[in-house]
Amino acid sequence: MTTTTRAENMNERTIISVRNLVKHFPIETGFLRRQVGVVKAVDNVNFDLNEGETLALVGESGCGKTTTSHCIIQAQRPTAGRVLFRIGDADPMDLTQMEKGELKEARRNIRMIYQDPYSSLNPRMTLLQIIGEPLVIHRIVKDQDDLQERVAELLRLVRLDPSTMNRYPHAFSGGQRQRIAIARALSLSPKVVIADEAVSALDVSVQAQILNLLKELQNQLGLTYLFVAHNLAVVKYEADRVAVMYAGKIVEIGETEALYTNPRHPYTEALISAAPNPDPDTKHRERIVLSGEVADPGNLPGGCAFHPRCRYAEDRCRQETPELIDVGGSETQSHQAACHFADSLELTGIAGPILREEGGSA
Amino acid sequence: MSELQRGGTATDELAPPAGGLNGALLSVRNLQTHFFSREGVVKAVDGVSFDVKPGEILGIAGESGCGKSVTSQSILRILPRNGKIVGGEILFQNEDQTIDLATEDADGRVLRDIRGKDIAMIFQEPMTAFSPVHTVGDQIIETIRIHQEVSKEEAHDQAVEMLRRVGMPNPARNIDEYTFNLSGGMRQRAMVALSLSCRPKLLIADEPTTAVDVTIQAQMLELLRDIQADLGMAIIMITHDLGVIAELTDRVMIMYLGKEVEHGTVEDVFHRPQHPYTRGLLASIPKMEPGRVEIEPIEGVVPNPYALPTGCKFHTRCPDFIAGVCEKHDPPLTEVAKGHEVSCFLYGGRDRLE
Repeated sequence: MTTTTRAENMNERTIISVRNLVKHFPIETGFLRRQVGVVKAVDNVNFDLNEGETLALVGESGCGKTTTSHCIIQAQRPTAGRVLFRIGDADPMDLTQMEKGELKEARRNIRMIYQDPYSSLNPRMTLLQIIGEPLVIHRIVKDQDDLQERVAELLRLVRLDPSTMNRYPHAFSGGQRQRIAIARALSLSPKVVIADEAVSALDVSVQAQILNLLKELQNQLGLTYLFVAHNLAVVKYEADRVAVMYAGKIVEIGETEALYTNPRHPYTEALISAAPNPDPDTKHRERIVLSGEVADPGNLPGGCAFHPRCRYAEDRCRQETPELIDVGGSETQSHQAACHFADSLELTGIAGPILREEGGSA
Repeated sequence: MSELQRGGTATDELAPPAGGLNGALLSVRNLQTHFFSREGVVKAVDGVSFDVKPGEILGIAGESGCGKSVTSQSILRILPRNGKIVGGEILFQNEDQTIDLATEDADGRVLRDIRGKDIAMIFQEPMTAFSPVHTVGDQIIETIRIHQEVSKEEAHDQAVEMLRRVGMPNPARNIDEYTFNLSGGMRQRAMVALSLSCRPKLLIADEPTTAVDVTIQAQMLELLRDIQADLGMAIIMITHDLGVIAELTDRVMIMYLGKEVEHGTVEDVFHRPQHPYTRGLLASIPKMEPGRVEIEPIEGVVPNPYALPTGCKFHTRCPDFIAGVCEKHDPPLTEVAKGHEVSCFLYGGRDRLE
């Protein structure tokens, strides 16, 4: 196993530390595949994932949240930056510097759950094969009986009937398939689970089941989650901390409640305002409707990438790229935002439940 | 029964103009749409009734498989080949004539006249509404000229005007663009322009904001609200997202496995939900409110559509299940308040059993 030679000052509670992560994709054209530009999918992203917490990466399509998660498990090799991962008291290892073979140990501890359980499960394999495959590859089981026993245990863990282990995925509904995907992800007793839009394709009644299951499993097994999602209400329910991404950068990161009630970046404010709430009283509320669309990461505007859609933008925003800086928060939980005017803007977060007696035009 | 006879084949009898629809623009009565396949029959819509008044926004909500999209496809008669309307009426008030869309020939003159002109539809994926090899403008102009007798120039002007109304940044230029050159949000707007180009009386929106980002969704909802106020058409908004329903609609019908479970104003249904399914749905959505708000999932899974439960379709997952009643009988619709109907034995209907 490769350990980094230099002593890395990783926070005690930190299990994964993402440092200056960059992922660029070349834009090529023509027969000679001449490079004419670059898509800055992830552009200098920094964050720590602490043991036992759920950190959410939120943002709209193309913001780089999925690419970031892929760069963590080295499914895509980052262009630059480091991904430090530490198991227990061992020295942190830099996953970006490791060869494929060396990554096996790390990947055993960082598992993924994907959005669509219809395409992430092989339709020609039984549950026993799907869930048992990682156990066989990592030579954890002794024999077939041992395998069956462990798979049965995993199925019970995700509240599925162990007697179904010889059936194929088509016999299960979307929510049940997602349970199967979770069982597979947990088969190697990982430390970290990256859930990439894991509940987005599910109906709300089933989504709630999976959200609660993930929380129960976290408490039971001490898991750490990186929760990649676009639905702000789901993130509010599931995450301890939230990182909001826009055009390849983190624009705000902080403790969930603080970020939702007291956002410090105009993009976060707009996202919160735009999220529809299932309460007809809020329909008369003034919403911030952003004009235009998400910036094209292949052709980013200068200065702050959000400035063309920002209602507070000034000249400085068009020229200078804002850094992610501290904007308060508590000693244990920092709150950072990348906005030149984070200190002076008065932004609106989620409001309390609107009192119905008042006619609901708050 | 004569189930198959009412399918897609031509039945030339014109619906009797039974003296208006009590002011409604569309009246769906006991609609039954079934799908026939080798595995059996799926009763995708099984006895659904509702009215849409001119200028009102009705929401139809429910989870996958509840029949909300099949209901809209039945109205426009654009069902997949194996889907058939086997019962009920879809009465549409067109000028002074009442037409039963359920019995008209799906490919006939009457429906082709109504589709796109009087009743238009927008879809989840704008690329499916457009042809990729024609410009946006050509497709809008074609639609206008099919339904109206206007010159090419006039149709062109109308198309530009409609693109301007839906907020395209540069309508005179956008009209000559192909859809693949437009961004996702602009495509959605172009699709709305196409569907509204003939000023329909009714717009059916089937999950129009499901595939877009939340900021674009907010733009779409604002657009639909503005356009509705501007042009005054009625809208049927079909979605699984109760947030969108609360935001946009006046009345809502909640469906589960082809049945209507609750129906009323959005205020009634969201603030005073009665049916255990509606209550369960609302309780399972994470809220955008400060502090910890717990969510409670509905237990179990949606049953296999080929083997539906007997009695109330929700009884297998219902926390308030009444043994001996719910699994035996179909609950009738009961009015719990004016204009607020629930199909659940908790609110009566047991006395109406034999």
